[in-house]
Amino acid sequence: MAHFYESTLIDTKDGFQCKSYSNEHPKGFIIVKPKYLPRKALKARGLKYRFLFGKCLIRFNLFAKKEKLISIVEEFKKNYPEYIYEDKNKENWYFVVPKNKIKEIHDPKKGLQELLKVPKKDLDDYLKKVVELIEFLCKCGIKTIDLGITHSTLLGNYTPGKSDIDLIIYGKDNGWKILNYLKDAGHPDLHWKTEEEWAEYYQTHKTSESSHFTEEEYIKHMKRKKYEGMFRGNVFTLFTVENPEETWFKWEDETVKRVGLATINGIVTEDYNSHVRPGFYEITGAKILDKHGKNWELDNSIKIEKIVTYSIPFIQQAFKDEKISACGLLELVTSKKDQKKYYRLVVGYFDAYLNERREKEFIKAEI
Amino acid sequence: MVHFYESSMITTKDGLQCQVYSNQHPKKGIIVKPKYIPTKKISSDSLPYRFILGKKVNRLDMWTDAKELKKYIEKFARVYPDYVFESDIHDRSPLFFVVPHEKIEKIYSPREGLRELMSIPYMDLDDHLEKVVGFVKFLLQSGLKLHDFGITYSTLMGYYSRNMSDINIVIYGKNKFWKLMDFLEKNKHKDLRWKNYEEWEKFYNKRNRNIVHDKEIYIKNMHRKRTEGFFKDTLFVLFALEEPEEAWFKWGEERYKRIGFAKFNAKIKSNYDSIVRPGCYEVSNSKFLKERIKIASCPFSSINLFGYLNSNIFIPNFLLIIFIILTTNHKYVPFF
Repeated sequence: MAHFYESTLIDTKDGFQCKSYSNEHPKGFIIVKPKYLPRKALKARGLKYRFLFGKCLIRFNLFAKKEKLISIVEEFKKNYPEYIYEDKNKENWYFVVPKNKIKEIHDPKKGLQELLKVPKKDLDDYLKKVVELIEFLCKCGIKTIDLGITHSTLLGNYTPGKSDIDLIIYGKDNGWKILNYLKDAGHPDLHWKTEEEWAEYYQTHKTSESSHFTEEEYIKHMKRKKYEGMFRGNVFTLFTVENPEETWFKWEDETVKRVGLATINGIVTEDYNSHVRPGFYEITGAKILDKHGKNWELDNSIKIEKIVTYSIPFIQQAFKDEKISACGLLELVTSKKDQKKYYRLVVGYFDAYLNERREKEFIKAEI
Repeated sequence: MVHFYESSMITTKDGLQCQVYSNQHPKKGIIVKPKYIPTKKISSDSLPYRFILGKKVNRLDMWTDAKELKKYIEKFARVYPDYVFESDIHDRSPLFFVVPHEKIEKIYSPREGLRELMSIPYMDLDDHLEKVVGFVKFLLQSGLKLHDFGITYSTLMGYYSRNMSDINIVIYGKNKFWKLMDFLEKNKHKDLRWKNYEEWEKFYNKRNRNIVHDKEIYIKNMHRKRTEGFFKDTLFVLFALEEPEEAWFKWGEERYKRIGFAKFNAKIKSNYDSIVRPGCYEVSNSKFLKERIKIASCPFSSINLFGYLNSNIFIPNFLLIIFIILTTNHKYVPFF
């Protein structure tokens, strides 16, 4: 097992730009989502192109039309098998960067420290906003060393007025500190979407995730989240990442067996890990609501203990003591150390974008 | 001697981002102007700072305060000795920056970059790139081929700011460049306009051109050029590059001896090579206006410019402040 911070950009020797997609990784690999691939990497159509750093690149998008995405991923797997990690102990596959394929890692923490050294007079409006947002967030008591910048903010290919400001918060406690601070903190340049704006967003941005929510439910969920807001007219996004000693699972400490697609509900007993990727909600009193036409059976002596998400729209979706329902892949997890078993439901695995789970998966709080 | 296209971009293993500054180069490396220099080993508050590719860098602005610039360059030479080139074809080497071949990390080719850009479906382009593509399509009406053009600087490197960054286009080949100039002289486009007096005046003031030029002459000279204008309200600049077989001098085939600092005027015989960097005006009837040195009384046959004056064209009476260097074949070649 190995720790590597989530949301970190990695350039590979094959010209890919990838984003790490977990804080815990199998030995010798980093779980990633490919972000940009060279034009020649894939023949399959259905993805958009971008001109970045002098090259025509394919924007790898898991939300591309499903039938197209299936052939894109198939071709990718065939052309670049070394970027796919099949884990028999987890009965799943992941996009990865093998360590020997890493060309460059773009460190969000170092990037921010470099940015903060640049005199404000030499920054453009976008970067000034980034620095001022950082200064504002630090008022909650965290240090700039606990923050980072990523994506186009870090690489410099941002479009002022259009690109998000993507910030990383290092450490789960720090993550909650900032998210809680933002609930009440006022700043003349800080704006959270109003109910009307969320309603408009719901109507104009129909996604497979939002399709499980009525407009009213959607607004209720989104309004209380504080990981995405506007700072002086620019969208900002906060990603909390786990420090090495904080990871809630170790890659090689458990084996996983697939059970099947399920819809369940339960009560959230702990939401502390719900702001990272993968994040989870600890639950109790879980009940199976739907087996989606299959007749698998559970061992009644083993409890469903967790709802796990790799999907960012479902982080911070439910809070402690709330009733939660979710649809995803039900798995049996066995600890290698003491053979303790539990069930968990997982939303947002890579394979889910290619099959029926894509339209079915959700996490919802009864609020 | 080595040919390498001017205006290409090179990133180095030491994190410098450099702009190729000549079409002819010594064997040791590529003559460049460092554009962005990391601030880890050397920095200067008199130079602007930028945040590029996750790093704080200084932008090497040659128009900043001369004393501070001198201090910075002296320190640069100590910190990055491999990047300063001592020319053995000059009796006293002018300042040349080079990227030694072994220090090259990546070369950004303007031609390759444009080819990549033009392969992107129009719907996937942002506003800035749409303008670039639109402008190139207009330039292609001149009869030149896509292969004859390139993009450079921030458009090529990908850190442009929409509505702020220039469109920098290079044209491969001097004949082709002149053909394009002729096309631009004779053709119009609804989205194309040339800089007006006030805009040149603004440029003159902003870029400290008053250090060497009289304002009115400068604006008059610049105003008639067809190398800078606006396309859909975005500034564009056109640069000519020499093809290998077009080089008007070959590095190492001449020797240069420095004579002194002088001011003179002359009649231009040919401005054909004045569009490239280094550019050259062939002159006759040269006359010293202010002589600080004594030299043999033979006329200048060419004026050789490294730098901003490279496209000062069609000037019948050409006045310059120059370094004069006596070449082995008795040409006087001033180097900037």
